[in-house]
Amino acid sequence: MIWHYLVRRLFLLSFVFFALTCFAFSLGHLFPGDPLVNFSGISQPDDELLPILVQQYQLDNGYLQQYIAFLQRILQGDWGLSLASQQPVLYELSQVFPATLELVAYALLISFVLGVPLGLLAAIKASHWSGRVISTIALLGYSLPIFWWALLMIMLFSIGLGWFPTSGRISVLYEIPSVTGFMLPDILLSGQTYWQAALQDAIRHLWLPAFVLATYPTTVMIRFTRDAMLNVWQQSYIKTARAKGLSRSQVLYRHGLRNAMLPVMRQLGLQFSTLVTLAMISELIFSWPGIGLWLLDSISQRNYPAIQGGLLVISSLVILVNILMDVLHTLFNPLARKQANG
Amino acid sequence: MAKFQWLYHKTEHGPLSQLWVSFRQQHSAVIGLMLFGFFTLIALFGPVLTPYDPYLQNPDALLLPPSWDDMGDVRYLLGTDDLGRDQLSRLIKGASYTFGIALITALGAMLLGLLLGVLAGMSKGFRASAFNHVLDLALTIPSLLLAIIIVAILGPGLINTIWAIMLALLPQFVHGVRNTILQQLEQEYVIAYRLDGANNWQILRYVIFPNTWEQLTVLFSMALSTAILDIAALGFLGLGAQAPAAEWGLMVADALDLIYLSPWSIALPGLLIFIAVLSVNLVSDGLRTAVRKRQEN
Repeated sequence: MIWHYLVRRLFLLSFVFFALTCFAFSLGHLFPGDPLVNFSGISQPDDELLPILVQQYQLDNGYLQQYIAFLQRILQGDWGLSLASQQPVLYELSQVFPATLELVAYALLISFVLGVPLGLLAAIKASHWSGRVISTIALLGYSLPIFWWALLMIMLFSIGLGWFPTSGRISVLYEIPSVTGFMLPDILLSGQTYWQAALQDAIRHLWLPAFVLATYPTTVMIRFTRDAMLNVWQQSYIKTARAKGLSRSQVLYRHGLRNAMLPVMRQLGLQFSTLVTLAMISELIFSWPGIGLWLLDSISQRNYPAIQGGLLVISSLVILVNILMDVLHTLFNPLARKQANG
Repeated sequence: MAKFQWLYHKTEHGPLSQLWVSFRQQHSAVIGLMLFGFFTLIALFGPVLTPYDPYLQNPDALLLPPSWDDMGDVRYLLGTDDLGRDQLSRLIKGASYTFGIALITALGAMLLGLLLGVLAGMSKGFRASAFNHVLDLALTIPSLLLAIIIVAILGPGLINTIWAIMLALLPQFVHGVRNTILQQLEQEYVIAYRLDGANNWQILRYVIFPNTWEQLTVLFSMALSTAILDIAALGFLGLGAQAPAAEWGLMVADALDLIYLSPWSIALPGLLIFIAVLSVNLVSDGLRTAVRKRQEN
């Protein structure tokens, strides 16, 4: 039964990817300028190269052949050259993408560690002052424009108190070879003599952007954990559990939290695309060398192959996270499993 | 006691006044509504209210701090920016840009979403499922990425980014409207009405629409707060409103070079964005609670 559901999700996934590649392909024609340049990233192909490229990209033929050629290039890893640096787009993406993933991962970690317990507390003490304070803070955090919040934090912690640096992932003093692309594991793998100092420095750089980015998901977590918990707390199975003589904390963890986390998980999948937008903005403010900063540079440089590649990578990430959350939600929730099959 | 509860409830009131009664009981929501009304008025009548022309440059009054500061000037209540333009006038003008245009954007997305949601809700089989899948795709493209792509095609500008924000807001409306319609279609009164010989349009017009407006208002208020944040963020990134415009996000970006000299010129526009979004969220939360209470009764 569950296989039936998984196959259907897989079908959906392939359909969405098909539509996504169609969209990315059409951009090559929609962007201003020559489609050949937009696809290849070679700004002035000479007379020798031109016929080869036209042949390779099937530009003399109809859109269908062009699309098939485009798909083949994507699968082979030939994503064109960046118009700004003349480096392969895929290579540049592999350099900047892990930085974004790292930032988003730490922000999500913070939001889990802070958001779930605070949301629980807010639900249990809903009418107590502590519950009200938590709900109010969550509402305030939910309404903050991230760029302004980031600037306030910089003004306070970097300019005012001087605790944290304002930009970058690590001080230029330390040379860390990129192995995984993630800074903290890379430092541990580097085997340099100064790895401890480098680690400290990297963490100091990480604090502020991760905290600023975590604000939104944390408040989302608090709000949804609270709402879900309040909802679950009224169900009859909670009353049954209490009547069986389980202690308050046993009911809370075994029956309450497990059920309350289901809608929270689903919401997390839905909010992921907002989180990526926020990550892109905070990367710009903190000069974090991730995909957001790279894309925003690309737009001012009219670097169309880069934008196309960025679209493919970011959207794929969001799609995968969405579908993964949906599948997990169904696996953990027998009721949803029944619905998915029935 | 619970048995006689209907005696204490004024059930002769219509749904709208019932909603208002439970909305009014929440103080934070009422404060939010007042702020919301205030911002709407400023956005509408802003151009008449400004003490100075928001684009008038006064070279004799550059970078004045707010008037309560020792260095301030009482003629410029909230000080001036680096070109000698009056901050207060610019902030008032900014309400029409950030708040007013967000209102229009969310309204546009709601109308379009209503149309598409009705189409999706009333159609069945392959068409409905294909429609949903296209929507799922649209949901996955982050609004900023969508804006970057539209700016790459059409060039930067407020109008162009409005399309991006509208497109990004659209799926949640379509999903919301579609789910509400599907929920309504299962109700027995819809079946009864259909047995009376009503066609699809009549069911939609007389049975389903009166039952969707609550959901629509909640969706609208949620979309509005996203729209304000997105317009300001795009203005800040230089993709949205362009240079002289007094858009709040753009004003923060303009003041970035002056972060040491005049921190208030970063703090003030950002604070207004924050309060505007907060007021919308307060109303949104209050509405959701009120709707839930009304439906439970």
